[in-house]
Amino acid sequence: MEDCASSDEDYYYSSDRESLDGLENEDSDFQWASSRGPSTKVITKESLLAAQREDLRRVMEMLSIREHHARTLLIHYRWDVEKLLAVLVEKGKTDLFAEAGVSVVESEDTGMAVSSSSTAMCEICIEELPTDKMTKMDCGHVFCNDCWTEHFIVKINEGQSRRIRCMAHKCNAICDEAVVRNLVGIKHPDLAEKFDRFLLESYIEDNRMVKWCPSTPHCGNAIRVEDDEFCEVECSCGAQFCFSCLSEAHSPCSCIMWEHWTKKCRDESETVNWITVHTKPCPKCHKPVEKNGGCNLVSCICGQAFCWLCGGATGRDHTWSRIAGHSCGRYKEDREKKTERAKRDLYRYMHYHNRYKAHTDSFKLESKLKETILEKVSISEERESRLRDFSWVTNGLYRLFRSRRVLSYSYPFAFYMFGDEIFKDEMTNEERDIKQHLFEDQQQQLEANVEKLSKFLEEPFDQYADDKVMEIRMQVINLSVITDTLCKKMYECIENDLLGSLQGNTHNIAPYKSKGIEKASELAVCRNSKASTTTDKCLPSDCGTSGKRDRPFSFGSSDDGGCPSQKRAKESYGGGFFDLNLPAEL
Amino acid sequence: MIDFARVQKELQECSKEIDTSGIRVSPKSDNLARLTGIIPGPLGTPYEGGSFEIDITLPDGYPFEPPKMKFVTKVWHPNISSQSGAICLDILKDQWSPALTLKTALLSVQALLSAPEPDDPQDAVVAQQYLREYQTFVGTARYWTESFAKASSLGVEEKVQRLVEMGFADSLVRSTLEAVGGDENLALEKLLSS
Ligand SMILES: [Zn+2]
Ligand SMILES: [Zn+2]
Ligand SMILES: [Zn+2]
Ligand SMILES: [Zn+2]
Ligand SMILES: [Zn+2]
Ligand SMILES: [Zn+2]
Ligand SMILES: [Zn+2]
Repeated sequence: MEDCASSDEDYYYSSDRESLDGLENEDSDFQWASSRGPSTKVITKESLLAAQREDLRRVMEMLSIREHHARTLLIHYRWDVEKLLAVLVEKGKTDLFAEAGVSVVESEDTGMAVSSSSTAMCEICIEELPTDKMTKMDCGHVFCNDCWTEHFIVKINEGQSRRIRCMAHKCNAICDEAVVRNLVGIKHPDLAEKFDRFLLESYIEDNRMVKWCPSTPHCGNAIRVEDDEFCEVECSCGAQFCFSCLSEAHSPCSCIMWEHWTKKCRDESETVNWITVHTKPCPKCHKPVEKNGGCNLVSCICGQAFCWLCGGATGRDHTWSRIAGHSCGRYKEDREKKTERAKRDLYRYMHYHNRYKAHTDSFKLESKLKETILEKVSISEERESRLRDFSWVTNGLYRLFRSRRVLSYSYPFAFYMFGDEIFKDEMTNEERDIKQHLFEDQQQQLEANVEKLSKFLEEPFDQYADDKVMEIRMQVINLSVITDTLCKKMYECIENDLLGSLQGNTHNIAPYKSKGIEKASELAVCRNSKASTTTDKCLPSDCGTSGKRDRPFSFGSSDDGGCPSQKRAKESYGGGFFDLNLPAEL
Repeated sequence: MIDFARVQKELQECSKEIDTSGIRVSPKSDNLARLTGIIPGPLGTPYEGGSFEIDITLPDGYPFEPPKMKFVTKVWHPNISSQSGAICLDILKDQWSPALTLKTALLSVQALLSAPEPDDPQDAVVAQQYLREYQTFVGTARYWTESFAKASSLGVEEKVQRLVEMGFADSLVRSTLEAVGGDENLALEKLLSS
């Protein structure tokens, strides 16, 4: 490793001096200038209301409608304001409203003036009742309060809070949430609260761009992404995950590949396969017996000999072609072909898995090493020396973690990209070979440079003379730039030459970010005056529950049983999160 | 939980209109949660002349939850299971509205008999036949109506048994009975002449 300027010279000398110097300054935006502030946001239970209100207000102002109508529209269009506007332009207001079940009434018609007479018949309970015990919905249908209440309770318990339809047959109108809240609140305040929470959480549950953080135990946060669902994010609780599939961040593997891979690793299906291919149960004692040598007569430790081809017990004498007292007539080639194939598949899997695992293991070791390396930095800083700035060490470490991560996930990627489990007929064998070589060249280059970087960071530079430290510093800075460039190139290759060339590609890869997985920033809660001056009294916190403004929402609590959670990660993480990026406190 | 006052009123209402609608609903016991509905087969369909019994169970949330209904009388129809009598009808599922009643629900079932929806089948075999061999479908549906949905046809199994005892094959007896519309004497004549 002493001569590290061999194949990497190109990178070394083509990188300009300025960027190398920039690396020493922690605050500099070295190579990262293009990325703006994080576009992903953490939505906490405190900011959820504000986040929802933002979109509501846009729609309310644009269409001059009341909040509950805006909410009904947004729930129908899954909180996709752009889609809603597109429908508005294409089909007009009337159709937009009708499709979502919004019936906007003329102002003169509002109120509870059900009819001029003092009693009316409720069509549901078939009772003649005083009109002040009845409620008229925006669609014009009138039923008694008891019947409405029962209807709402059934719907809320069915988990349909977000779209409770009118009771009249074939009436598509969605009930006014204020009416629901008030009527249900009289009988069951707890259910009314549940209803409010459902409405609020619709912003997460029904929204393609917002998902619950998959942490276990759940941190209570959700993450909102701006325009690309295929990305990796870090929640403020520290959990890093793939936004698209909610499992650990896995690029440059696609979600589909990662799902296959984790399943494969979990099942150890290949190992099971190995046992079935390489051993057979003894016909006498049923222990698995391994075949050794080319001969088809095998013998168990119990003393029983048997035929490998059919598993039947035999005598012990044999020639190359016959076993005494036994002829099963099996054609052996077929079976041997199968065995060969299974063996090849197994070795292939082992090849990729070993490398994948070696890098994830290195990671964990290097994360521990972080402490010792930082110690070396503080020792060095104390020393009488003209060297003062050691940010190159932390930056180098950071780069090491980042590249290691890419490298380790590049193995399951390659396993599927060049195997026939997922892409069977997508490429000809020649194409596959060429592409595989192209990719492996890059992978090997990256691997070599990552190992070098790791070696240099492990050096006891705190005990070296200044000259030697300067040399290591140069190497680390150089290798940091190289590995970053190589990672970037690998992603480009995957996107353009490998996946990009496939027809109807469904494999999306979270883009490479030099800086690592983006930490989502907290959504600013702006309690601006606008919200309080509104005349609309239908905000969950304003309506019917005054004095409860600050009640805690029990996010993700399991006590209510009815909490919809399709969007939550199915699997528990049980400490399975590797912190592959450099930890924040560094 | 069931609004029994409303069920009671529904029953009264229903019996008043029995002459116009032909639809009957009566409780199975003094517990109003289990009822029996009877609908006449619609005119101009293979179900004409039949009288179909429907088993009705009211859930706790009735009328805010839909009643559970299934055919007791065997019926040959794409949207009704020929095995279990289960009915595939939207208003008995997510399109239920509390404003509907047992009578209106049964009227919808009756309408379903007139206008099958083979694209949303409950019984795939029947639906296939309806789409591919419509005449055969009509024949079978009519035979089932004759065999199972008419007072005179209630003893169809006995007829089959009697004819089989005379020495005819079971399947031949059934197909012959089907061909003559369930008339035992005509069937015997046919069997003997063949
Ligand atoms: Zn009522
Ligand atoms: Zn209505
Ligand atoms: Zn979190
Ligand atoms: Zn994923
Ligand atoms: Zn043995
Ligand atoms: Zn041998
Ligand atoms: Zn053998």
